[in-house]
Amino acid sequence: MSNARALLPARWAQRLANVELVAGALLCSALGLAVLFQGLLQTHDPVRGNIDERFARLGANGHWFGTDNLGRDLWSRMLEGLGWSVSAALLATGIALGIGLVAGLIAAERPGWTRTLVNHLVNIGLSLPGLVIAMIVVAIIGRGFWPLTITLGILTWPVFARVVYGESRKQLAMDYVLASRLVGSPPWRILLTHVLPALRPTLMVLIAFHFADMMILESALSFLGLGAPLGVPTWGNMLQEARDFLLIAPWLLAMPAAGIIMVVLAANLLGDGIAAKSREQARAIEI
Amino acid sequence: MKRALRRLVDLLVLLVSVSTLLFFALRLAGDPTVVMAGSDATEAQLAAIRAQYGFDKSLPEQYLRYMASLARLDFGASLATGQSALGMILVKLPATLLLASLGFITTVAIAFPVGAFLGFRPDSAGRRLVALLVYVFQGVPGFVLALLLIQVFVVQLGLLPSFGYADPRTWILPSIALASFLAPKLCRVFAANVSEAMREDYIRRARAMGATPKEILWKEALPNALLGAASLLSVQFATLISGVVIIEVLFVWPGVGWQLLQSTLALDFPVIQAFAVVVAVLVFAINTATDLLLTVIDPRLREASRP
Repeated sequence: MSNARALLPARWAQRLANVELVAGALLCSALGLAVLFQGLLQTHDPVRGNIDERFARLGANGHWFGTDNLGRDLWSRMLEGLGWSVSAALLATGIALGIGLVAGLIAAERPGWTRTLVNHLVNIGLSLPGLVIAMIVVAIIGRGFWPLTITLGILTWPVFARVVYGESRKQLAMDYVLASRLVGSPPWRILLTHVLPALRPTLMVLIAFHFADMMILESALSFLGLGAPLGVPTWGNMLQEARDFLLIAPWLLAMPAAGIIMVVLAANLLGDGIAAKSREQARAIEI
Repeated sequence: MKRALRRLVDLLVLLVSVSTLLFFALRLAGDPTVVMAGSDATEAQLAAIRAQYGFDKSLPEQYLRYMASLARLDFGASLATGQSALGMILVKLPATLLLASLGFITTVAIAFPVGAFLGFRPDSAGRRLVALLVYVFQGVPGFVLALLLIQVFVVQLGLLPSFGYADPRTWILPSIALASFLAPKLCRVFAANVSEAMREDYIRRARAMGATPKEILWKEALPNALLGAASLLSVQFATLISGVVIIEVLFVWPGVGWQLLQSTLALDFPVIQAFAVVVAVLVFAINTATDLLLTVIDPRLREASRP
């Protein structure tokens, strides 16, 4: 993903890195603020609608994004769904990060059956279609916030484990780690004080991309009817409902679609920006 | 030979893990009989399911029986239709393979020219615009793009029929939508590979020997970049399968993915199991085939794999 910057001449690459970082950070903070102040920004009740105002067009009667088939305000519903989806995606990312970090670090430090087991699990996890497995698991254990986030987290930790493992092996082979071992540091201290800080830039990038992936997975699952509970206005659920009214109310589809694209782009921009920045810093140190 | 054996072991590990995951997921949900049959099942139905799966036995025994029947490729009958579960999946497989191939061809047809265009001489303004477009498209989830395509081309413009698969015109939108899952990423990787190859010594040598830019692109830079792209496609095959499932549902494509959603929503467990095993075998077959193909094409890999 990051290789694409090799396409551009150096001075452009530098400027672009900053643009990406700034744009990504701005978009992400705007979205974060929208989640935090959801209640203040909502102009109407997101769940109860006024049936007389059904299918109001964009901007009509103070409904900035129009209303749906039950006269519910789309803008307020989208804010409600944003909060739900962002929390779900963040939690799922956190769970995946937690498991992946521990598994990756342990596998890197301990050769033998632990490493073999982790590597096997990672390979299996990465070769399976996540959406399909998540669909089946959620269908069995039921829809809802916690089933969904825990399923997504547990299914996707190999993404983190693989990178953590690879990077940690690199760090563990460094001379300063050897020096630390020679003065008698226990393995856990080496992992915590030497390896973990070195992983930080990589992990930040990975977290941003993973968050985007989780947003997509959550909305796709909700769209299929196997994610968020029915009544919750997540964007995936709203897209599903919009399918019945494509002809009369295209905005019901367009707005949530644009929302998903915006969130995913924001996270991608932030991730690419951080990646470019940390590469630059690494280069600056070398010079 | 040794490698073939190793791969077979990998496949077995994969199959066992997937089946085990499904087995325990079903147990997590509570009484599997009720989960499978639904809350409005009659006592006779419950008894039939209990007998078929042996849910009255102890957990280890259930697990062993379950694995034994999988080993015989016996997934049982679909709870919804009573047909063989494996048969129901296999019947739908051709439509899915058609869609997957169409999506794959479209992916390659978009990604390789655009990637080569971007990577060959990366500085011009037009190229930067295309690079930006690719970047934006990478952020558009495939199912959202599919919905937008349906909205614009089928509902608003009425240019294309959207559903079914008898008429080849209905193949266009699903192929494009499916391509959107992998094409942007492949574009970027391919472009980076080409531009990296352009800085290699052998390209400078070819240039010094008087090769034209066209010859350099086709004979030197592209073949090398292709190898990297091929292994990316193999690794990302799982993404393609996820894409196929959701695209089939969206376009009412009568394939395995569509069947899977119906069976999943109805918790038709034998069909889900059959699907999981078929997918695992497919993933394995594709990965192995690409690996073999790459070793045949690229002599460096042959060297590397020798002990």
